[in-house]
Amino acid sequence: MGYAVSEPGTAAVSSALAIKILIAGGFGVGKTTMVGTISEIRPLHTEELLSDRGIGVDDTSGVESKTTTTVALDFGRITIRDGLWLYLFGTPGQDRFWFMWDELTLGALGAVVLADTRRLQDCFPAVDYFEQRGIPFVVGVNCFDGARRYEPAKVRRALGLGEHIPVVMCDVRRRVSVKEVLTTLVTYAVERA
Amino acid sequence: MTGEDPGPLVRLFGLTGGRARPQGEAFDLVAIVTTAHDAPEPGDLMPEHRAVLSLCRRPTPVADVAAHLRLPLNITRVILGDLRRDGLIGIERPRPAAQTIDQRIYREVLDGLRSL
Ligand SMILES: Nc1nc2c(ncn2[C@@H]2O[C@H](COP(=O)(O)OP(=O)(O)O)[C@@H](O)[C@H]2O)c(=O)[nH]1
Ligand SMILES: [Mg+2]
Repeated sequence: MGYAVSEPGTAAVSSALAIKILIAGGFGVGKTTMVGTISEIRPLHTEELLSDRGIGVDDTSGVESKTTTTVALDFGRITIRDGLWLYLFGTPGQDRFWFMWDELTLGALGAVVLADTRRLQDCFPAVDYFEQRGIPFVVGVNCFDGARRYEPAKVRRALGLGEHIPVVMCDVRRRVSVKEVLTTLVTYAVERA
Repeated sequence: MTGEDPGPLVRLFGLTGGRARPQGEAFDLVAIVTTAHDAPEPGDLMPEHRAVLSLCRRPTPVADVAAHLRLPLNITRVILGDLRRDGLIGIERPRPAAQTIDQRIYREVLDGLRSL
């Protein structure tokens, strides 16, 4: 295969690396907002075109079919250096898109599960998903205005999280706050690696 | 057809021949795509295919290619699969995270995030 590895001045080419981080949580919890707050690129989402008639089946009439739908897949990019990028993917929320999670989590560094204290139960499926697959995750409690403030310990207990899983209070509209959530995740993932 | 706006769907159909999945070995959403330097560019490429070859002279992750083309990911992947089959691009092969992200990379990512 004609890889451009030996081109002068592109030493980074052979080692170029894009790392995935997932942002999960219930509808309206702030996933899109979080990706937008920290991303350096504007076109924030791409669409996955789906045919209801079977995922993973090569459906030659899929594009014509009535059942074609699209799922918006938010993503954002942070350039660490030339040839090293972090990609944040806001996971599509609906249950019928679990298969996309499987692909998104493959090889991912880890995940942030966003929680809203007014409806904590919305993030149970995401917590279960990452726990079952042993994917490192942290819980970010998005502190909406008007929501009661909870102690992280209370959230941890309510979600049945192990002692080791970091719980961070955050405001995903603020860059410093998003940075803190992400550094917490990466630090935690390093310790587990 | 959906009866709403057949235009874009017809265009997508033209790009992929109606195929839903790319040719050959599966590749990740963030696999790095690199234009081959040694292959002559055929004259009859579609604009989207040409755009990929131009963009990926700098190694570019699949998701970014989709965003640049403003096309759905799986359509983008079909295009990439075809270009790979024709030897015009290389696509990074899947690697387990444990193998890819070593301590040095973690360190770099952490430092990078902190200095944002
Ligand atoms: N007050 C407040 N509003 C927020 C916060 N995060 C998100 N929102 C708002 O909540 C709504 C849903 O957020 P969005 O990011 O689209 O949620 P998603 O469904 O998880 O992607 C939007 O109108 C946001 O502006 C927050 O931290 N505080
Ligand atoms: Mg959203």
